[in-house]
Amino acid sequence: MSGFGILTAQIAIPLAGAFALMLVPNQYTKAIQWIAMLFSIASFAASLAILTRFSGGTYQMQMTEAVSWIEPLGIHYRLGIDGISLWLVVLTTFLNIIAVWFSFYVKSRVKTFFVMVMVLLAAMLGVFLSLDLILFYAFFEASLIPMAVMIWVWGGSKRNYAALKFFVYTFGASIFMLLGILTVAALHRNLTGNLTFDLVSIQKSVASGALWAQAPHLQALLFWSFAVAFMVKCPVFPFHTWLPDAHTEAPTAGSVILAGVLLKMGTYGFLRICLPLFPEATVQAALPMTVLAVIGILYGAAVAAMQPDLKRLVAYSSVAHMGFVVLGIFSLNHIGIVGGAYQQLSHGVSTGALFLLIGLLYERIHTRLFADMGGLKAKMPVFAALYLVLMLSSVGLPGLNGFIGEFMATLGAFQSGIEGAYGLNLLLPILAACGVVLAAVYLLWMFLKVFYGPVTNPLLHRLKDLKTHEVVMVGLLLIAAVWGGLYPQTFLAPMDRSLAAARLMATSAPGERPSWADSGVQIAEDGTLFGPSEGPLPEFVIESSSPSTVGVGR
Amino acid sequence: MLGRGIFQAVFGEFLPILLLMLVAAVVAGAMVTLSWVLGPKKDTPYKSSTYECGVTPVGNAIERFPIKFYLVAILFVLFDIEVVFLWSWITVFKGATIQYQVFSGVAVGIYLVLWIIGDAYVIKVGALEWDEEPQVAPEKLLPTPVEAPTIAAGSHS
Amino acid sequence: MNVNALIPTVDWRALAPFTIVVCTGIVALIIEMLRPRRNNNLVVGVSLFGLLVAGWSLFGMLGGPSDESFAGMILNDRFGQILQLVMVGSCAVCFLFSEPYLREKRIPFAEFYPLALWSTAGGMLMVSSKHLLMVFLGLELLSISLYCLAGMSRYESKSEESALKYFLLGSFASAFLLMGIAFIYGETASLHLGRISEVLGAASASPLSTIGAAMVLVGLGFKLALVPFHQWTPDVYQGAPTNVTAFMAAVSKVAALGALVRFLWAIGTLDTVWFPLMWWVAVATMTVGNLAALVQNDVKRTLGYSSIAHAGYLLVGVLAAFSAPGRVSLDATAFYLISYAAMTIGAFAVISLTASGQHEGTRFYDVRGLWKRAPWAAGCLVVFLCSLIGIPITSGFFGKLLIFQAAFDAGLPALAVLLAVNSAISTYYYLGIIQAAFVTEEGAVAPRFGKPSASLNLACAVCLAGVLGAGLFAGPLIRGMGTAEVGPPVGVPVQDPLTIHTKNTSD
Repeated sequence: MSGFGILTAQIAIPLAGAFALMLVPNQYTKAIQWIAMLFSIASFAASLAILTRFSGGTYQMQMTEAVSWIEPLGIHYRLGIDGISLWLVVLTTFLNIIAVWFSFYVKSRVKTFFVMVMVLLAAMLGVFLSLDLILFYAFFEASLIPMAVMIWVWGGSKRNYAALKFFVYTFGASIFMLLGILTVAALHRNLTGNLTFDLVSIQKSVASGALWAQAPHLQALLFWSFAVAFMVKCPVFPFHTWLPDAHTEAPTAGSVILAGVLLKMGTYGFLRICLPLFPEATVQAALPMTVLAVIGILYGAAVAAMQPDLKRLVAYSSVAHMGFVVLGIFSLNHIGIVGGAYQQLSHGVSTGALFLLIGLLYERIHTRLFADMGGLKAKMPVFAALYLVLMLSSVGLPGLNGFIGEFMATLGAFQSGIEGAYGLNLLLPILAACGVVLAAVYLLWMFLKVFYGPVTNPLLHRLKDLKTHEVVMVGLLLIAAVWGGLYPQTFLAPMDRSLAAARLMATSAPGERPSWADSGVQIAEDGTLFGPSEGPLPEFVIESSSPSTVGVGR
Repeated sequence: MLGRGIFQAVFGEFLPILLLMLVAAVVAGAMVTLSWVLGPKKDTPYKSSTYECGVTPVGNAIERFPIKFYLVAILFVLFDIEVVFLWSWITVFKGATIQYQVFSGVAVGIYLVLWIIGDAYVIKVGALEWDEEPQVAPEKLLPTPVEAPTIAAGSHS
Repeated sequence: MNVNALIPTVDWRALAPFTIVVCTGIVALIIEMLRPRRNNNLVVGVSLFGLLVAGWSLFGMLGGPSDESFAGMILNDRFGQILQLVMVGSCAVCFLFSEPYLREKRIPFAEFYPLALWSTAGGMLMVSSKHLLMVFLGLELLSISLYCLAGMSRYESKSEESALKYFLLGSFASAFLLMGIAFIYGETASLHLGRISEVLGAASASPLSTIGAAMVLVGLGFKLALVPFHQWTPDVYQGAPTNVTAFMAAVSKVAALGALVRFLWAIGTLDTVWFPLMWWVAVATMTVGNLAALVQNDVKRTLGYSSIAHAGYLLVGVLAAFSAPGRVSLDATAFYLISYAAMTIGAFAVISLTASGQHEGTRFYDVRGLWKRAPWAAGCLVVFLCSLIGIPITSGFFGKLLIFQAAFDAGLPALAVLLAVNSAISTYYYLGIIQAAFVTEEGAVAPRFGKPSASLNLACAVCLAGVLGAGLFAGPLIRGMGTAEVGPPVGVPVQDPLTIHTKNTSD
């Protein structure tokens, strides 16, 4: 389809919100807040509309849009959605409502704050929806400024340092992605004669093996030029140092969005670009990436256990949890990739929720140090109960969403380890599993220190429990966490075909790889491709899966 | 001669000029050196003063003097150059065809008009007045006047 | 004596924009003479109108064929027209915010406008001629006006320092340029670049022409602030009144780049000598500009160093276009120039707000809290700085993208990678400005900002439209430029010293 459609509307709604907010004079704080809320809800509604139109039976791009943009350079405005991006879009708009709602607490420069939130929302949605590499890069970078400004203006005491570090790190890494994009497009132009940044057509020539046959030695270099940008964003172990600072200093809404969505842009980039475009390099990189992921899991957990600051602890736990995503993706088998993709969503919900709860607490006591807390359970029972459940979802308690993702990702790594595929061995998943235990240790310690014991801080005596609307705010996330834990098919089923395709794009031999461009071609349960079918697309049911797919729940 | 051949090859027709310079250097150098070597040296304070004959200098030679001198000097140079232009033009103008005379006449006319505008400007800003310094008119410095005081005063009472 | 042969064919149409700009300057001066004790509004109005007419006439010529007139003195081609348009536009935007600034600084000399107009005319002459004498004439017209303008704020010693430094170093560089032209004339017996390239192409490189070319490059490199001829830039940019700095950063850079392109193309056969040299100059310019900018604490100075870095980026585009004549055009460079002019003038326009009541402070801590006093201008400043960093979807991003692409296509990937490293470094100091102006609260001592006037807001809006419009409508803009041709360069391209040789990546 060409022309603008629902996906453009999805991106345009927050942008329209930003413009609408700019027109409101500064002093009408209430109006600004509610306009922002209105546009957030509209954005969420749009993502639900996309969800209802989405068909889970195919791995192809759906609802695609293409408009010529910068013709001389072959840059088009191309959008599309598939199983990989679907839930990330929904998660983004969902978390945004909660972030905006919480941000009613923001008192200074209210208008600028909400404008930044709206621009950030549009940029993040653009990343997940764009199918043109330059467009992807544009949105990827465009998300930096609003996030950096949010940390900078409304952040904590070390915000200058944190914002600068965040920006310079991510920008510095991703500029090389731009060079990579240009080189890939140049290779594709050499092959086909036309300059385009269209992910679908470039992937098609990768699938046939023709693209890399021209310059096999460049593939690894280009893979890493993309991978470093995504590794910084995720963040994967040696590139994670910006994250604790950024998370700790960011305002609560910023932390929620940063943890919930922004980090996913990295793992999404792996799934969307690295696997399909650099198959051989991905397979070669599986071992180093999984090793880094496992180091991240253990290191994040170990450092988190030592933190004196509540927010910093959760930030380091993010490093560990995102390690599971990378581990799952680079196990390069179905269960692992599905687990990794699922872990993205559950980390977004549960860590976002934890940051939200910490924000609610901070608004009351204006400290995040364990030393100032203790015995909160008696003062804030509702808060403690919500906190416990969401923390356990982060720990990975069966029945809550965190378990599914971590379990499947680790299982995938075990499977690859047993088979010895891609150079992986059993040590990695074993160590990763230890990371789960460590997560339980430091998160339960945190709970212990905050909620039990004597009340040492006199300030805490006047503490009030959550108000109704705050309970609703957290409750929404709680429902998502429980739903994701008890009935993950809701989320897994639409993703499954696309993730299978992404895996096959990386691991199959040239010529046998699926391609988004071959409309009608589908992937059977056993991972083989079959030709264009006349009938309606088959509904995917997870029970009928092959041994490589493990059904969880139901 | 071999040496001459090389010089000829390197300097070509400039060789005579080179020789001339060489001779000049030798003669001048010889004159100075010889007078320094042969001449009697009797230093007296009077002899080593700046001006041996004439008025005794007063004050420091390195003195600041009005920048106006530069301005006048620059204007003088500009007039000079104008004359240079006109002089060379008029010599060609005399023997030229009518087309050229018209064409170049118009061109020089434009040049002179610009020149006169420039002169007018110089006179207008007082660059030739010795005692006056060009200044921004104080009216320009003021922000746009606020036309409210009378009304405000009226409503107040 | 047959002097009729001296009458050249006069193509007034080709010279119309230049003439209009010069005459506007004269009219502006006459107006100032006739009504000296009034405000400058009429002078500004007339100047803007003249620039508008000049821009319109340039725009009308855009489609036409390129030709030479005035006995080869004036060249009317697309490349020159586009650069002239950029200069005329830059000058107009500078005029928009100049008057309130000059009033705040208590130096509203109306002579600023004619001088700036003549300076612009000089720049226009530089890019619209292939005759070295005209290039020199244009350069001097551009420079001498700028020397006066830099010292316009007479009661400030740093402005005087700026003018004197610029004048002394500038005349030194002009002497180099003139000497180089003389050498080249000595070798080729011509001052016309077309003829020069023919003669140089026929013979092998002689020391005379090589030294001459090197000297011309020194002279032009000085104007363009290429390392190692850049030392004047920060001092002059800092000391000159901010509106003059904006003008200088945009117009004189565009003009020098145009002349440099024409000259490099003409001496294409000497490229074994100058290409590696310019390669390293480009690298050094980017790197030194960015590294030195990191440690500055004055906004104008920082932007001065940033302009050095951007000259390096531009040079990358020029080198790419030179070494792959068929495949890479100068579009990337021309596009980058347009976006550079818009974002730099915009940034300086906003910084000019720090002038208030004869006092002007441009240290980082002087611009704190700008967002509160002038929200619109501060917001625009953020966009301009984002564009200077190269954040999508601003024009700065697309400019860099085009230059990256040009460098890759021309087989100069090492330059592209070094450019990327440099843009990563540059984020730090641009963010420093954003932090000061948009993030930080005012300090204990309340800063003194001028009131943002309507015309300044308009100037910001124009630059904002330029920065965002050139980004969003990059396609039509690039196509509109056509391949900004200056004709194919003479000679065979040489290899990038650090080329990563790829298999089958060029065809």
